[in-house]
Amino acid sequence: MENSADDYRIQSLDMDTQMLLKTALKDPSSVNLEKVSDILVDQSLKDQVFSKEAGRICYTIVQAEAKQNNGNVFRRNLLTRLQQEFKSREETRARSLQEWVCLVTFICNIFDYLKVNNMPMVALVHPVYDCLMRLSQPDALMNEEEVDCLVLQLHRIGEQLEKVNGPRMDELFYLLRDGFLLQEDLTSMARLLLLEILEFRAGGWVLSSTAHKYYYSELAD
Amino acid sequence: MSNWTRGRRREARDNEHDNGSSGPSRWSHCRKRGVDGSLRANREGDAGPEKGGESDSRKASFTTPESTGPVSRCGRKADWGSQVENDEMRRDVHRDMQRRRILGAEVPQRERKISSGSSESCDSREGENIETDEAVLLRRQKQINYGKNTLAYDRYIKEIPKHLRQPGVHPKTPNKFRKYSRRSWDQQIKLWKVKLHAWDPPTEEGQDKVLDDIEELGIDDVMDIELDFPNLTDFQNAPASLATHSRSLEGDDDCSGTPVKIQKTEITEEPDLA
Repeated sequence: MENSADDYRIQSLDMDTQMLLKTALKDPSSVNLEKVSDILVDQSLKDQVFSKEAGRICYTIVQAEAKQNNGNVFRRNLLTRLQQEFKSREETRARSLQEWVCLVTFICNIFDYLKVNNMPMVALVHPVYDCLMRLSQPDALMNEEEVDCLVLQLHRIGEQLEKVNGPRMDELFYLLRDGFLLQEDLTSMARLLLLEILEFRAGGWVLSSTAHKYYYSELAD
Repeated sequence: MSNWTRGRRREARDNEHDNGSSGPSRWSHCRKRGVDGSLRANREGDAGPEKGGESDSRKASFTTPESTGPVSRCGRKADWGSQVENDEMRRDVHRDMQRRRILGAEVPQRERKISSGSSESCDSREGENIETDEAVLLRRQKQINYGKNTLAYDRYIKEIPKHLRQPGVHPKTPNKFRKYSRRSWDQQIKLWKVKLHAWDPPTEEGQDKVLDDIEELGIDDVMDIELDFPNLTDFQNAPASLATHSRSLEGDDDCSGTPVKIQKTEITEEPDLA
């Protein structure tokens, strides 16, 4: 089952890089996998659209390498890079909100796609929570960009996260409730997003149809 | 201990120091992966990763030849790559354990010869004889993985399919689920890896030397003991001196597999064993 290049959204990269990635997908041992993982991480930090789906191409390369020669060079390099970026996330956030948001999106995407024996990578659980907790701090909630990122991730991986660590999810939602209720400098959009995610989780990570109408029906116009 | 063997051991240690843990060792051509984990594509002599390139990215901790990157000394590895790999291995071992439980339950009691029964499915008497300690199983699995992560193993399994393997002649992976003393297990692993060397990729130097050394020792005697499944008493009696030396060299370091260079040194040590 081969995904076309479109599925991986690699059009934003130059032709040479696209070729390299395509080769990595087909014949991983023939390319420098460390370089490939660096390219993917760098691009994810720059390009928000790319960061939302980069997990998929990473997963495919991991599988391809494992199948071809039982290796995990790519995965190891990817995780090492990711860990470095995670360690310096506060500096990244101070430097560029965009990059910070891309980083969180990317880490969550990797968490979503890169499973080990169909289970999420335990090593990523706390780091993901750390990122989401950071996004729930008062100084982050006042930025729509960050709130938007937060709720997007919770929509995508909230349920999984809760399954692997319920208490931390509870902790996160205390912050969200407090923020929604008490924080005065929130924009109305931010409040809307928070209310929706509160209802979403309360409904078991599903929005009731009436709630859905309330929040989403206007988009149809 | 003769001067010769003392010298050999020093040489092995020196090699280890010179190369630090970054340069190619004399055995690096046999390893499937370089220190940085990348597959070795070319097989020429010491075509391993360069020393220069590595030291840049390497942390103060050391690198074992078989690991795919810097590892902290035996402690919990904090980097995500290692964590994920360890989780994976733990899951694999658990899955093996489950399989073992199911298979063990199904197989009825069978008549056994003393030194028989190597294949997984005919280990009857499962109850008492099965190793269940997770720490032990993980350690053993790691040692097995080191042995399997070699070009020799790759070539071996490609060349000799399972159904064509003859006991005694062809190396057989030690069964981690059977109860053995630590010494006995480590010995089995060593011998297994020595046997695997017969499938090392050819190089200009080194290869013949290994085989010569092995012959010189009459190592076949030791190999025969192993057969399908080593008899515990034989192990404890015969290569006692080998075992002691192995202990002192390795210490109780759970984290490293037997470095191949030290292994070689031990084999060449005691010609008078039998």
